[in-house]
Amino acid sequence: MLVNLQGPWSPLLGRLAMSQIPYENPILVGTFLLVVALGMAILGAVTYYGKWRYLWREWLTTVDHKKIGIMYILVGLVMLLRGFADAAMIRSQQAMAVGPDSPGYLGALHGYLTPFHFGQIYTAHGVIMILFAATPILVGIMNIIVPLQVGARDMAYPYLNAVGLWLTTAGAALVMTALFIGDFAHAGWFGSLPLNELPYSPGVGVDYWIWAMQLSSVGTTLGGINLIATIVKMRAPGMTWMRLPMFTWASLSANIISLTSFPVLTVSLALLTLDRYLGTHFYTAGMGGNLMLYNDLFWIWGHPEVYFVILPAFGMLSEIIPVFSEKTLFGYTGMVLASFGIAGVSWGVWLHHFFTMGSAPDVNAFYSVSTMLVGIPTGVKVFNWLFTMYRGRLRFDLPMIWACAALFFLLAGGMTGMMNAFTTNDYMVHNSVFVVAHFHLMLLLIVYAIFGAVNFWFPKVFGFKLNERWGKWFFWFFTAGTATVFIPMFTLGFMGMTRRLDYIPYTQWQPLLDAEMAGIVLYSLSAVYLVVQLYVSLRDRALNRVGADPWGTSRSLEWATPSPVPFYNFAYIPHVNARDEWAWRRENGVAQLRHEHYTGIHMPRNTGVPLVLGGLSLGLAFALVWRMWWLAALCLAGIVLLVIMRSFARNTDYTVPPEEVKRVEDAVWAGASVRGADGVRSGAGGLTPAHAPWAPK
Amino acid sequence: MVKKNWARGGRFLALLSTLLLGGCSSRNFWLFDPKGVISQTQLHYMIIDVVVNLAIIVPTGLLIVWAMWRYRKSAGAAYSPHWSHSNAVEAVVWGIPILTVAVLSYYSVKAIYQVNPYKPTVLASAEAALAPRPLEIDVIATDWRWVFIYPAQHIMSVGRLVIPVDTPVKFRLTSTAVTNDFYIPQLVGMIDVMPGMRVRQALMASHAGTYEGFSADYSGAGFSWMNFQTDAVPSAQFQQWTQQVQQAPQHMDYAQFNLFAKPDISVSGKPEYFSDVEPGLFDHVVGEVMNGKVWPTPMDMTENMVKYLQKQRARQAQMQGEL
Repeated sequence: MLVNLQGPWSPLLGRLAMSQIPYENPILVGTFLLVVALGMAILGAVTYYGKWRYLWREWLTTVDHKKIGIMYILVGLVMLLRGFADAAMIRSQQAMAVGPDSPGYLGALHGYLTPFHFGQIYTAHGVIMILFAATPILVGIMNIIVPLQVGARDMAYPYLNAVGLWLTTAGAALVMTALFIGDFAHAGWFGSLPLNELPYSPGVGVDYWIWAMQLSSVGTTLGGINLIATIVKMRAPGMTWMRLPMFTWASLSANIISLTSFPVLTVSLALLTLDRYLGTHFYTAGMGGNLMLYNDLFWIWGHPEVYFVILPAFGMLSEIIPVFSEKTLFGYTGMVLASFGIAGVSWGVWLHHFFTMGSAPDVNAFYSVSTMLVGIPTGVKVFNWLFTMYRGRLRFDLPMIWACAALFFLLAGGMTGMMNAFTTNDYMVHNSVFVVAHFHLMLLLIVYAIFGAVNFWFPKVFGFKLNERWGKWFFWFFTAGTATVFIPMFTLGFMGMTRRLDYIPYTQWQPLLDAEMAGIVLYSLSAVYLVVQLYVSLRDRALNRVGADPWGTSRSLEWATPSPVPFYNFAYIPHVNARDEWAWRRENGVAQLRHEHYTGIHMPRNTGVPLVLGGLSLGLAFALVWRMWWLAALCLAGIVLLVIMRSFARNTDYTVPPEEVKRVEDAVWAGASVRGADGVRSGAGGLTPAHAPWAPK
Repeated sequence: MVKKNWARGGRFLALLSTLLLGGCSSRNFWLFDPKGVISQTQLHYMIIDVVVNLAIIVPTGLLIVWAMWRYRKSAGAAYSPHWSHSNAVEAVVWGIPILTVAVLSYYSVKAIYQVNPYKPTVLASAEAALAPRPLEIDVIATDWRWVFIYPAQHIMSVGRLVIPVDTPVKFRLTSTAVTNDFYIPQLVGMIDVMPGMRVRQALMASHAGTYEGFSADYSGAGFSWMNFQTDAVPSAQFQQWTQQVQQAPQHMDYAQFNLFAKPDISVSGKPEYFSDVEPGLFDHVVGEVMNGKVWPTPMDMTENMVKYLQKQRARQAQMQGEL
C-alpha cells in the first residue's frame, strides 16, 4: 500500500470490516429494513405473476430507445425520492439544531445528525439530485423523444445506449450501497480540496463518491456520443437542419457540452484518485500540489454540466408552449442561436464558482462579464416564449401549467443569477443560502419543465393521458412547497446564513428555518398527490386512450406515429416537408394518409451484455472503494473480455417481416387495442416481437 | 410553551413584514445593515444591480401574465397562428438583454476594483491619511478555530478579533489543514482561506460594535462552531486591549502551535489569548504546510459527537497538564 490508511486492511476484504456496517444507527437500520421489504415485495410480485421472463426479454436486455428511456426515468425517480429524503433530513436537522440550548439525540450535540452524518447527507443530496436524478430523467426523455423527432427507428448505437443506461444505474446503485456499507463523502457534491484528501477524509466515503461520479460520467458521455450521432446521421429525408424540432436542437447543444466536458470531470477525479490511492500530490496543500487546480478542473466540467441539464429543459418549454398556444414557435432561428450561445458561453464562465478564491481583479472582472453574457441568450428565449403566446389561443392543460410556472422560475432564478454574476455581490453571498436558493430555483425550473414534458409526452409513450385533476393538485402543492422553502431561504441569505451548517448558532434564524420545514411538509403532501395521479391514471387508462396526437394541436414529427409508439417507431421512414411536420400535414390534409404496402424493417437485436457490463462495473467500483484488489482485477478482466467478445458478435440484428408490420399497423388504424405476439402489452412500444414466429431466437 | 410559540410566530411575522418593507432597517438582515466601508460599498452596488434587474424582470413578468390572460383560448382575442418572425421584435428581444448586460458589466467591473481584497481603492484615502501604516493582522484557520495574530504587537487571540474603528485593517490569511472561508457579513465579504497559501483581505469598520464572523466554507466536523466575535472599538480602547493581552501568561511559538493546531471542535467558543508570539509565525506555518505538514483528522471523527467531545476534553486537560 503506497498510502497511509487509517484502520485495518486485509487482502480478502480490503478495508471492509463488520464495524463498517452502521447497525447502531436506527435511521439507517430502519431505511435498510424498508428497502429490503420493498425489494422483497417487488421480487415476490414478479415471481408471483410469472414475469421474470417478460422482465428479462422486454426490459433488462432491451436495446429499444423508448424502453431504455423509461428505465432511465425510473432510475431517476427512485433517486429523486432518495434525494428528497436527504433534503428532508437536512431541513429537519437545521430546524432542530438552533442555538446552544437545543437538545441533541443519537450522539449529536444538537438535533439528531452529527456533522459526520450531516456532511454525508447534503453531499449525497447534491450528487444524487444532479447526477442520478436530473441527468437520468433528462437523458431518458431525450432518449425517447429525439429519435422520434428526427424520424429514426432507434438511436445510432442501440447497444451503446443500453451500456450507458446500465453504467448510470451502477453508479446510482453504488451511491445507495454507501448508505448501508461504509459511509459517503462529506465535502459537498463538488468536493472540497484538500478536505477530500486522505488525511482529512480517511474513510471510504470519498472513494464511493469518486467511483459513483466516474460511472455516471462514462455513462453520460456514451449517451452524448449516441445522441449526437443520432441527430447528425439518422435524420429522416427532408429533415434539414433548419427543420429540426427545438427539443432536438436543445438536445444536440446539450450533448455537445456533455461530450466535451465530461472527460474533464473524469480527469479531475482521476487525479484525486491518484492522490488517494498512490500518494501523489496533485491537489494536496504541500509538496507542490495545488488545490486550486481541482477547482478549475472540476468547474470546467461543472458549469457546462449545469447547462447540460438546463438546455433540454429549455427545449421542452419550446415544444410545450407552441402546442398549447396553438401557434408556431416565435423566432426559431433566434432560439437555435440562443441554445448554442448558452452552450458556447458555458465553457467560459467556470471561475464564478470561486470568485472568492482571491483571484486578481482583472480575472474576476473577465468572468463576471462572461457570466452575465449568459443572460443575453437566456433573455432572448424568455422573450421568444412570450411572443409565442402573443396572439395565440392558450389552453392551460397540465403540460402548459408546468411550463408557464417554469417561466417565472426562470425570471426569478435568472435575476438572482445576475446578482451572483455581479462579483461584489458574490463576495457577500458566495457560500450563503442565497446562492443555494438561487441554484435550486434554476433546478426547479428544470423540474417544472420535466413535469410538463412528462405530462406532455406520457400519452405518446404509454397510449393514455395522465389524470388532469390530481395532476393539478400535485402542481399546486408542489408550487406551495417551493414557495415556502425557498422564499425563506433567500431571506436567510440576506440575514447572513451560510450553507452546510450542522448546528445553527444564531437563534434569529429559527422562524425562517421552521418555515422551510413547513415547505418540506407541503412537498411531501404533493408527492402523495403525484402517486394518486399516477394510480388513478393507470386505473382509468381504458377511458383515456389516445390516438397519434392526443393534444390535437401538436406540431413535430413524434406525433405522426401511433401512441403508444410501435417498437419500430415508423412503419415507413417519413419524408419531412416542413419545420413543424405534423402541423404541416394536418394543415394540408395529409395527416391521415397511410401506406398500403409494407416492407421489412431492420431492427437491432436484444442483448444481455450491457446489463452484465453494468454489474461488473458496479463490482469493480465497489472493489476499488474497499481496496479489494483481487475482486477489482477480476471484474476488470471480465469487462475487457466481454467487450472484446461482443465486438466479434455478428448476429446483432434481424428483420421484421412486412406481414407483421401490416398486422400492427392495421390494428392501430382500426383503433383496436393492439397486443404483441405474446399477448403482452408492454409500456413503451406497446407491441413486442418477443415470441412471434419471425422473432429472433 | 404556548406563549413561547406565539412569541416565535410573532417574531416570524415581524420578520416577514420587515422584509416586505425593504428590511434595510432590521438589524437581523446583516447584509442590509453594513457597518464597514467595504460592506457599505458592496451593498451600494447590490442595490444598483437589483434595481437594473428589476427594471427588466418585473415588466417581463407582467407581460407574461398579461399574455397568459389576454390570449387564453376562451377570451377569443386576435389569433395569428403563423406569426413567427418580426425583425423589429427580434431586435428588441436581443437588444434589451444586451443593453442590460452592458450596463451591469460596467458597474460590476467598477465595483470589483473598489473592494479588491488585495488593494481596495475605497480604502486608499483612509490608508494614505494613516501614519505610518495600517493595522496588520495575520489570520490562521486551524481545524476548527480562528487564530488572529497581531505581528506588530506580538499577541495572538483565538476566537475573537478586536479591531480599532475607522482604521483600515489589512489581513494576511492562511489555513493549516483545509480550505475555509473568512466572512464577517456586516464588515467584509468572503475570502477563501487555503492551506499552504496566503491571501489578503482588507476592511475598515465605520461603527463601533460587536459583529459576528465565521467560516463560510465547509471544512469538516467542527465547521459549524467556527464562529468568532469581532469587536470594533475606539482606538484608545484597542491600545488598552493589546496591552492587556501582552500580559497574557501563555506564550506561542511554532512548536506549541503544532500542538495547538490539532483538530479541535470549539464548542465553547471561549476566546483564548497568547503573548510573546514568535515573530514570523504566520510565514513559518505557510512554509511548513508547503513542505507537506498535515494535521490529520481521525476516521469517523464525529460518528458520535458526544463521545468525541469527552475525548477532546480529556486530551485538552492532559495538554494543559503538560504545559
